Amino acid sequence: MSNSLVLAPAPRSEAAERVRAEVREFLAAELAAGSFRTHVDTWLSGVDPEFSRKLGERGWLGMTWPKKYGGHERTAMERYAVTEELLAAGAPVAAHWIADRQSGPNLLRYGTEKQREEILPRIVRGECFFVIGMSEPDSGSDLASIRTRASRNESGDWVVNGAKVWTSNAHASHYGIVLVRTSPADPANRHAGLSQLLVDLSLPGITVNPIRILDGGHHFNEVVFEDVVVPGDMLLGTEGDGWHQVTAELAFERSGPERFLSTYPLIAEFGRRVVDTGDAAQLAALGRLSARVLALRQMSLRIAAALDRGELPNIPAALVKDVGTTFEADVIEEVRRVVDVTPSLDSPDTLARALAEAQLHQPGFTLRGGTNEILRGIVARGLGLR
Amino acid sequence: MSDQDLVVETVRDILSGFEPFVLTAERRWDAGLWSALASSGLTGVGLPESAGGSGGELADAVAIVRTLAAGAAAVPVAEQLLVAGPAVVAAGLPLPPVEEPLTFAVADSVSAVPAGEGFTLTGSVADVPWAGAAEHAALLLPGPALALVSLEGVAAGDAFNLAGEPRGSLALGGVSALVAPLTEGQAEELRAGFALARSVQLAAALERVLDWTVQYAGERHQFGRPLGKFQAIQMELAEMAGEVVAVTALVDAAVQALAHGSSDVVLAAAAAKVRAGAAVEVVARLAHQVHGAIGFTQEHKLHHLTRRLWSWRDEAGSELVWSRVLAAGLLADGGDGLWPALTRVV
Repeated sequence: MSNSLVLAPAPRSEAAERVRAEVREFLAAELAAGSFRTHVDTWLSGVDPEFSRKLGERGWLGMTWPKKYGGHERTAMERYAVTEELLAAGAPVAAHWIADRQSGPNLLRYGTEKQREEILPRIVRGECFFVIGMSEPDSGSDLASIRTRASRNESGDWVVNGAKVWTSNAHASHYGIVLVRTSPADPANRHAGLSQLLVDLSLPGITVNPIRILDGGHHFNEVVFEDVVVPGDMLLGTEGDGWHQVTAELAFERSGPERFLSTYPLIAEFGRRVVDTGDAAQLAALGRLSARVLALRQMSLRIAAALDRGELPNIPAALVKDVGTTFEADVIEEVRRVVDVTPSLDSPDTLARALAEAQLHQPGFTLRGGTNEILRGIVARGLGLR
Repeated sequence: MSDQDLVVETVRDILSGFEPFVLTAERRWDAGLWSALASSGLTGVGLPESAGGSGGELADAVAIVRTLAAGAAAVPVAEQLLVAGPAVVAAGLPLPPVEEPLTFAVADSVSAVPAGEGFTLTGSVADVPWAGAAEHAALLLPGPALALVSLEGVAAGDAFNLAGEPRGSLALGGVSALVAPLTEGQAEELRAGFALARSVQLAAALERVLDWTVQYAGERHQFGRPLGKFQAIQMELAEMAGEVVAVTALVDAAVQALAHGSSDVVLAAAAAKVRAGAAVEVVARLAHQVHGAIGFTQEHKLHHLTRRLWSWRDEAGSELVWSRVLAAGLLADGGDGLWPALTRVV
């Protein structure tokens, strides 16, 4: 098989297992205290700044970042264990998720010293939340076609006009890393002329309009920029290098356990049901699902180990996300095939509720962070086909 | 170059002299290939020298099995190196000469009766890999116990899997055997080891089928372009790659669990077999779809591996069998124990 798709097995990390045990203990105590209720897909829908601050206190945000920015200089394998435990428990992690997963690493890679010193310690404390400013009303999969523009004014600041969409939790976040066009589109080089700006979402001229998803939840937004003046020193990285920078972000965005565990709380409920019934068909279905979880964990762990080696495995990350998000949706059908249950968001039956949540969130799994068609195109490139 | 690369290179060199062929009742295995492997000491790799093996690690044996499986080699190497050989050694029975093929089968309706210093077997055993080719068999008997028998003079029935590999029955009435008792746990680990051996073969064959299909898509032109330039084909190949990477990652982890003597090796092997088996439908279907009609004939090499994939997924326990074992094991501590178990197994 093509080498670009293959990563070395992840060595078992004792440090990761130690922190895993700590997180498990913390989550059990929080659940017992009623500080949160388990839900499906909580890295999109579970916004709880108080919970995020508790994680910050424990040292579970910015785990891999340098200590001088408040980080903990731990391994990607340790961070993997923490994120995986939080997702499996269906804990409310959405508030800080983007900042911890990709905005912080993006700042570490491309930010100025001032930007890092100002923002990273706040992310680590669970006090500063980020949004991704990529998609636009007319630019989904074709990200290079974005039209939000930023131009320098006479004082050297950026003036931003345009709109971003599907901006998760913009109404509860502090900053966005916004991809903008800083020079006119060049048909000969579509990826040129794009830049990333670090935008304070409280700036005048920014309007956040809610967009409700299928279950009525408000997570998505449209973020409109009307002559928003962004200070000149809030350029992230290099002017015109935005495409390259966005691509580097994707190894972080696409490879984590949230790409196969969004519906794990449904599997957990299903597991409890199987214990109750002892039904042979249900047992087999749970076994099939479990084998897929185990394979996806190994794939995702290999990515974490590659990140620890300083690699940016974009192609394997695209592949994991394709396989993982397909799995997240398949969970629903596997359960439905062997359990007679009617999904309902307000059912007293926890399985019926988890199934309802999973179903109404399911279309998003294979869209967000790059559609599976786009991902498969990247994998095809890895196979040498394009 | 690591020792393992060297072993793989040696096997590849040997294999290049033996093209896969259509197996028939008359020509049911590749005796020439076996001799070549045996004379290089490769049929004893991973088995201790003190027992008559060639020494080396489990990883070396796995590398050999992978290489041979990807080459559709009709030899009982997976059975000998990964299942029967280690079982015989672990049970304290004398390993037959490693030049003489040794197979493995689960013999639920065979019983052993003490006779003199050894035992006499009664009953028959079906689905014996390489029946009619293997010279010795390690049999998992009820009890449980492990029996080692010479197959000289034992009649083998003509039954074959979808790839034509012999899977006949053996009538064992009155055959003398060496027998060692096993614990239930050891018997379960032996069954799991057999499943893991087939999983290793499946992983290797799945990967090779993907390689062949990618290569074919690059060579075959339609509408003035290679097939691989069409997005529809790219989507299919990417889907195949996803399955192959998933299987490889889990099978590797299960092999590691075995190498480290993990107490969860049965569940790891169960998961590997379930995942590898599940990938067969997708990979074989799409490989044939991309290859078109020529891949549906014996004139093209594809069938050597796709027919094996369709066979191996149901051998040594199907996905149905192992998925139940896996789920029951993962739920051993109740519903709340599922996640801790999932993060422990591999």
